[in-house]
Formats: sequence, structure tokens, C-alpha cells
Amino acid sequence: MMKQAVILAAGEGQRLRPFTVTKPKTMIAIAGKPILQYVIEALARNGIRNIIIIVGYRKEQVFNYLGAGEKFGVNIVYITQEKQLGTAHALIQAKGAVQDEFLVLPGDNLIEANTIARFITAKPQAVLVKKVENTARYGVVTTDGDMVRSIEERTGDTECDIINTGIYAFDERIFDFIEAELAIPDVINNMIAQGSAVSAQETEGTWLDVVYPWDILSLNNAILRQIPPSLGGTIEAGAYVKGTVSIGKDTIIHSNSYVFGPAVIGENCEIGPNVCILPATSIGDNVVISPLSSIENSVIGKDVNIGPGSIIEDSVIDESCLIQGRFTACSDETEVRINDELHQVKIGAMLGVGCNLKSNVVAQPGVIIGNYSQVQAMKLLSGRLPDKSTVF
Amino acid sequence: MCGIVGYIGNKQAQPILLGCLEKLEYRGYDSCGVAIAGKDIEVYKDAIRVKMLGEVSPKLNGTTGIGHTRWATHGVPSQINAHPHLDCSGNIAVVHNGVINNCQELKARLIREGHTFTSETDTEVIPHLIEKYYHGNLEEATAAALDDIDGSYAIIVLAKDRAELVVARKDSPLILGLGDRENYIASDVPAILDHTDRVVYLEDGDLAVITRNEIKIKQNGSDVRRDEQKVSWNVEEAQKAGYEHFMLKEIHEQPKVIRNTLAEYTRATEHPVDLLGARDTGTDSMLLLACGTSYHAAMIGKYIIRELLKIPPRIEIASEFNYYSDVLSRAVAIAITQSGETADTLKAMKKLKEAGCRVLAVTNVVGSTASRIANETIYTRAGPEMSVAATKSFTAQLMALYWLGITQSRIDARKLASLLTELRQLPGKVQQILDDEAIIAKQARNLSRFENVFFIGRGINYPVALEGALKLKEISYIHAEGYASGELKHGPFALLGESSPVIAIVSKDNTHDAMLTNIKEVKARRSPVIALAEEGDEAIEEVADAVISLPRVESLFSPVVNTVALQLLAYYTAKERGCPIDFPRNLAKSVTVE
Repeated sequence: MMKQAVILAAGEGQRLRPFTVTKPKTMIAIAGKPILQYVIEALARNGIRNIIIIVGYRKEQVFNYLGAGEKFGVNIVYITQEKQLGTAHALIQAKGAVQDEFLVLPGDNLIEANTIARFITAKPQAVLVKKVENTARYGVVTTDGDMVRSIEERTGDTECDIINTGIYAFDERIFDFIEAELAIPDVINNMIAQGSAVSAQETEGTWLDVVYPWDILSLNNAILRQIPPSLGGTIEAGAYVKGTVSIGKDTIIHSNSYVFGPAVIGENCEIGPNVCILPATSIGDNVVISPLSSIENSVIGKDVNIGPGSIIEDSVIDESCLIQGRFTACSDETEVRINDELHQVKIGAMLGVGCNLKSNVVAQPGVIIGNYSQVQAMKLLSGRLPDKSTVF
Repeated sequence: MCGIVGYIGNKQAQPILLGCLEKLEYRGYDSCGVAIAGKDIEVYKDAIRVKMLGEVSPKLNGTTGIGHTRWATHGVPSQINAHPHLDCSGNIAVVHNGVINNCQELKARLIREGHTFTSETDTEVIPHLIEKYYHGNLEEATAAALDDIDGSYAIIVLAKDRAELVVARKDSPLILGLGDRENYIASDVPAILDHTDRVVYLEDGDLAVITRNEIKIKQNGSDVRRDEQKVSWNVEEAQKAGYEHFMLKEIHEQPKVIRNTLAEYTRATEHPVDLLGARDTGTDSMLLLACGTSYHAAMIGKYIIRELLKIPPRIEIASEFNYYSDVLSRAVAIAITQSGETADTLKAMKKLKEAGCRVLAVTNVVGSTASRIANETIYTRAGPEMSVAATKSFTAQLMALYWLGITQSRIDARKLASLLTELRQLPGKVQQILDDEAIIAKQARNLSRFENVFFIGRGINYPVALEGALKLKEISYIHAEGYASGELKHGPFALLGESSPVIAIVSKDNTHDAMLTNIKEVKARRSPVIALAEEGDEAIEEVADAVISLPRVESLFSPVVNTVALQLLAYYTAKERGCPIDFPRNLAKSVTVE
């Protein structure tokens, strides 16, 4: 059985901007926890406590959050990949730090303990695969019985098929095959071509990927359904909590507020009076939601302050935004451009960290506001604004 | 300052003691050593780092031992002067933190009585005194020896063939760590956190006998009980967790520290001190007291209290305060000390308390001496600070002072609400500076070429200029001076020129225009100017050679963002110059001697 794991957490997640300007993709919070934490908890629950994390882009965020791993019952050693030259290059950084057999996992796919429960006994070299509806952005694995024939990216072809989860069981021989290749699937194809056997094992467990900003909402929705209810704060008389809701330490839900689960509310928050938190909403620590606001299917980062009378749906509001009263983030079907791709999605607003919105700002569906943007009162926001924009 | 550790149990003592000593490194030291009781007492010590000592010393066999990191006060750093020290027979070994005032007299007496001394230290009189009084009872002999001593001490005594350690403290910190059939002794908690989180804090005047199974504490000869406390810090916090230096890690922890501190203070419904009560008793009724970086926090505290409470507090450097012959009656004194063990501050606190003042301590260490002297204590929640240069503890002290000011002021409710909202935004603003640290690192590369740097600021940012200069000089060894901008003309102007850059701390408040004028004056003397200014401050961008742009904050809170930027500037400058950032030469973390 595997005793050690290498987590690849050096990448940026460029398509997730503005959320990945200040943190790596692995540190994007889903239902109150960074994706990387789900990976570490899955490993810890399977008894794998020696963890090497390959860090690079915005590594301080990882250091600050995970420390030496004590809080999660694991031992973490960090190795820095100075330039992000692909997954195989990231893995080779761990050469010398790992012995015998080890697991390799991407730090930016959300998994749970059952995802890898069986795979930790797999004999190297092995690939964990999963059947998905849409293979568009993944490597499709062609097998011959239990053995892998090849891993290939297929563009345009989107039928139901098995794909590569990016989770591998390797031993030290893998390092002999890493040369100029930049991605682990290339290395595996190479090994197979040179006659090595690589097996495939399928998982039925959770394996979720976040690629575009709105994926944060669907992952949040999926994970919130599984979170057990808990109460660490105070619910004032006249406030009503229904469904599975987790409320952090020292948080106060003031009178006449309604919280409909599934929802997660962090520590030290002040909600209401007269606030509605509607299903599939996650709220970080130290958040203030002022009276007469309504929030639905959204992710609110820590230290956010939302003024009175705000309506927020299908939106992501990142850390430390200061939003005055009557902010409206409407949701509807809309076209959003990421790089050169057009996407048809139903979303509200995506706000980067530290935005400062004065009162009565209205965000049109699909708006993406860069980090630290300043918006004057009574403005209508549309399209995409770069970081540190000023809207007068 | 010196650090001491002790172990008694069933494991090999030497590796445990070396591990504990490494955890004490942050206090600063020049030499170290251990003594292990095996068949005989074996001592290994030298003027080297703990890690080196571990590599060069032979394996010493035994499950009871003591260790020491020394920061020279009497006698140069050398192998002979390093602790532990032995008596003539070699059967008694002592480690000591503190200063013995009457050591000359005691030493002369002991020499007359036939004792032989090998070192120049004051400590060596202790094992010889114990030897003199030892007739089979180590506890009594130690008590008798300490009766002869005038001074401060935390000591651990190890004797051959005795399954016990005797410890005592007076005016120097000492804690016990409780284990399972083993016990630990250390100058402070981080040293033993790897082994146990169950801690007993000893009081001044305590003498304790420690065996592997129990501890017995006496005060003035009679048994006393000291409650066990659970330490909420974990070892993780005591490690670097990926960062190259403790200092950078601690700088990066500041958003979290601000968040935790605010959460903690919000939770506490009662205010620890009624400062307004002080206001009603008279005009000259508040004193702020501190040393070093804490003194700079106190200076900013003066502005905060004056602004929010409309009381003009007095402020004193603790070591200077101690020379006043009398203490004028004052309703409340606020003493600020990160470690809670700063000797000068403690002395001043005692003096104030004796004079009938109410003393409030602001400290980072629960159970520290300062908290026990004070009538009331506000704890800062910075967690253990390992880097000698204070960073997060300073920010946490400022948060405590803001909280004091905000919660007790008579400013109107709306202003109060807006200040609280601003405070909640502060972690995000600090994070923004940290995210953009590459910009500051770039300026540091530039700054590292110079040997003289001036820092200038006005109003609430004048103390920030002092703190910025202190950070730079202590870790990068560049000569740096902080000035109130208006004072630059009164002398320092003579030193300006191409080779003396000026760091100008500019805030968008009533000091802004005067700062702009100062920068122009400095530029006229050809000094390169790096300005810290709010983003979008075009007037400053036009005149300064380089601008470090910082997020906009309420002027009252600008010292927090400005200080964080200057901490990063000092860090990257020191790194560029290849300095040993976490352990600067000649400096100690907490100054437990006067």
C-alpha cells in the first residue's frame, strides 16, 4: 500500500482569472475549503500522511494555509518548481524526495477519500481513470483489458468515455522516462511504447475539475449537498434555518433572517437582520451581510462586506470586497468570452478580490470584474474589466 | 537572551536537549552547551551554533540533562564561558539565565574558601555555592545558595547520582513541560512544544524539584500549587512551513494575525480597561511604556489615543523611565512588550504598581511575567514569533491599541461603525501588499547598494519612519535613521547626497503637502527618494525617483500598511546583502537583562 504522495500544485489556472491572479488554482475555495485541502484530506483518510507538494505560482498562499500539515494530520514537505514547464517537469522535482512507490495527484481536482480508496493498493505503474459525460478537455484513455494502450487529448469529440484523472501510482522507474516531455501522459505513452506495462483502474468516486470561473458554482453546489450540518455561532430569536446548514464559530444570524440549506457560513460573520441566504451558497469567514439582502447559489469569500438591500445570484465574490448598499448581480443566460472561446452560461457576476463598489451598482449577467477594481455609485457594469479598473 | 532547557525521563537526554535548544535559537545566542548525568556528569559546550554542537559532540549517555544557549554579558563568547558550569568536584552542573549583581564579592569569598574558578562568568559562582552547602540534599543546598545571590536568575541544577533536577526563578522566565513519565524545563514554551503542550508557569521566587514522575514547587520554603495550562500554539506554527526565513513567514502571517486579533477582541464583550475612567481623574493621566519595536507601537498608540479618546498620553522608553526618582501619580499605565519578559519594562511596571498606578500589559505571551505583574492584560494574538526582528507582533500590538481606542472612545456611533468596517478590510489590504511584494523586492535590490539610509514621516507615520529604520538596520546592517520630516532640516540635511537615499512615508492626510515639500527639498540635495504612497498619488509620483504604491486606507490605519511595506523592504534588502536574517549579529529576541 502507498505511504507517500506527491501533489502537483504549482500551476496558475489562467482561464480562472481574475480568481487566480492572487492565488493558485489549488487554493480556490469550494464550500469553504480550498480544493487542495480536499486532496489532502482524501489522502489522510486513506492513511497517506507523508505528502510532498510541488509549489510554484503564488506558493505563499499554500504555505500560509497548510503550514507543515499539522492541522490536517499530515507531514508536508514543499518543493518549489521555479518555472511551470508542465506536469512531468513538476514531478521530476520530487526525485530524491520520494522512495519506492508513491501516488501522484493534481492539486486542482476536487476528490474525496473514496475516489482513491482502492487505487492506493494499485501496483505501479497505474493510472486512475473515470467515465465522464463530456471528454472535451481531458485525455481519453484507450485500454486493452486492464492495460493502458494510450492517453490522448481529443478535441471536438465529446462522447461519453473514460478519461485520465491525473492520479497515478508510480515507482521510481518513472523518473527514467521523463526527458524533454512536458506532460505526464506523454511520459506514459513513451513507457508503453518502450514495452512497459501501465494498468488502468476506474473510480466511481468524486472527481471534479474547475476550469472556468463559473465552474466554482457547480462544484460548490455539488459539494454543499454532502456537508453535515453544524452550529458554532448564534441564531437570534426569529431567525430561521432550514436544510443542511453549517454555521461557524462566533457567527451571528440576526433576527428575521432565513437561511435555506445547503449552505456553509464561516466564522465570525454577521448576517442580517432580515437577510435571505438561499440554497447552494457558501460564505467565508468575517463576512458581513447587511439587512434586507438576498443571496442565492453564490460563493462569497472571506472579509467581504455586503451593504443593505443587495440581491446576488449565481455569483462569485472573492475575498475582501467592500460593497455598498443595493448592489444587484442579476443572473441570466449569457455569452462569456474566455481567451478565444465563447461560452453560453447562466451566471451572475464574478468579482475579483478587494473590489470596492459604491452604492446602487448593477452588474449584468456574466460580468467579470478584475481584482481591486473601484466602481462609483449608480454604475451599470457589463463585459469584462481588467484588474484595478476604475469605473467613474 | 540566554535560554535554558532541562530534561528528566526515560529517553536519551542529549538529542532531546539539542532539539529544544534549537527551538530557543530565536532568542539570539553566541554559544551553547549541554550536560548529561550518566555515570559521571559529562559536559560538552562551545561558542558555536547548536546544530554544530550536535555534530561535533560525542554521544553522551544518560536520561537526565540540562542545556543552555548563551548571550554574553559577563565574559567573551568562548568555550570556557559557555554553560553548563561545574563546581570543583564536577558533580554539580548549572545552567543560568540572568545576571548576578554581587558575583565579584561571592567569587572572592569562594576563592578564599578554596574553590577554583575556570570562567569569567557570573554564573559559575552558583555551582560553587551549591557545592559549599551540599550535604546530601540538593534542594536545600540550592535554596541556601540562592539566598546568597543578589540578582536575577532562572537556573537548573543537575547533580551526579540524583534522580532529580532542581530549578528556580527570579526575574527571569522559566516554565515546566509535563510529559508521560518525563518532564521538561525551558526558558519558554516553543522549546518544548515538540514534546508536550502541558505547561506549568513558575512564579518569581519559586524553587522546584523535578523528577521524572512529579514536580514539587516551593515558595519561601512552603509547598505551593501552580496550575497546569494547555498551550494552544502548535508545532506547525513554530516551523517555517515552506518559507526561506521565519521573518518572511511572519510578515506573510499578518493578514491572519489581524483577522484573528479582531475576531478575538470582538468576542470579548467586556473591555479589559476603562481608559475613560482614567480620563475623568485628570488630564495627565495615562502613560505608555515600552522598548524597541514595541516603543514604536506605543508612539503610534499615543496618536490613536489622542485622536479617539482626546487624552494626551505620555510616553516613555522603559529603560529611561527607570531613572526618574519618583513616579507621579497616574491612573493607568499601558506597558507594551511582545515577550512579556523585557527586563526594563518589567522593572518600570513594578515601580509603577508600587506607586499605586493601575498597570495594563499588552503582550503576546500568555502567562508571561508582564501579565502577572499587570492589573490587567490585553493579549495580542500573533502566535510565537521566531525571527529576532519583530514584525507580526508589532502589527498585533497596533491592533490592540486600535481596539482600545475604538471601543472606549466617545466618538459617535456612525464614525465607529465606519472605522470598524475599515478595520475589517485591513487584512485584505495587507494581503494586497504581500501579493505585490516583487515590486518592493525590486526597490530593495536598489537600496542594498547603499550604506546610509534616512526614513522620514509625519504625524502618525513618524513612528513608522523610526520602525522602518530599525528594521533595516537590524537585519541588513545598513546604517539607517528615522526622522520626523520637519526635523530633517535641523542637522541631518548635512548628510544628504547621492549616496544617502531617503525613504519617504506619505499618507493622504493633513501631512501630505508638507511631505511633498520635504521630498522636493531632499531631491534638491540629490538624495534618491523612494516614496511609500497611496496608489494614484500623482503628485508624489512626479517628484519621487521610485514609488511603492500602497492600497488606500483610513489615515488612522496607515501605519499598518506602511509598516508591512517597510518590513518587506528591509527583508529583501537584507536578503540581497546575504545577511543571516532570522538571527542578526549581536541581537537577542527578548531582552531579559537591563
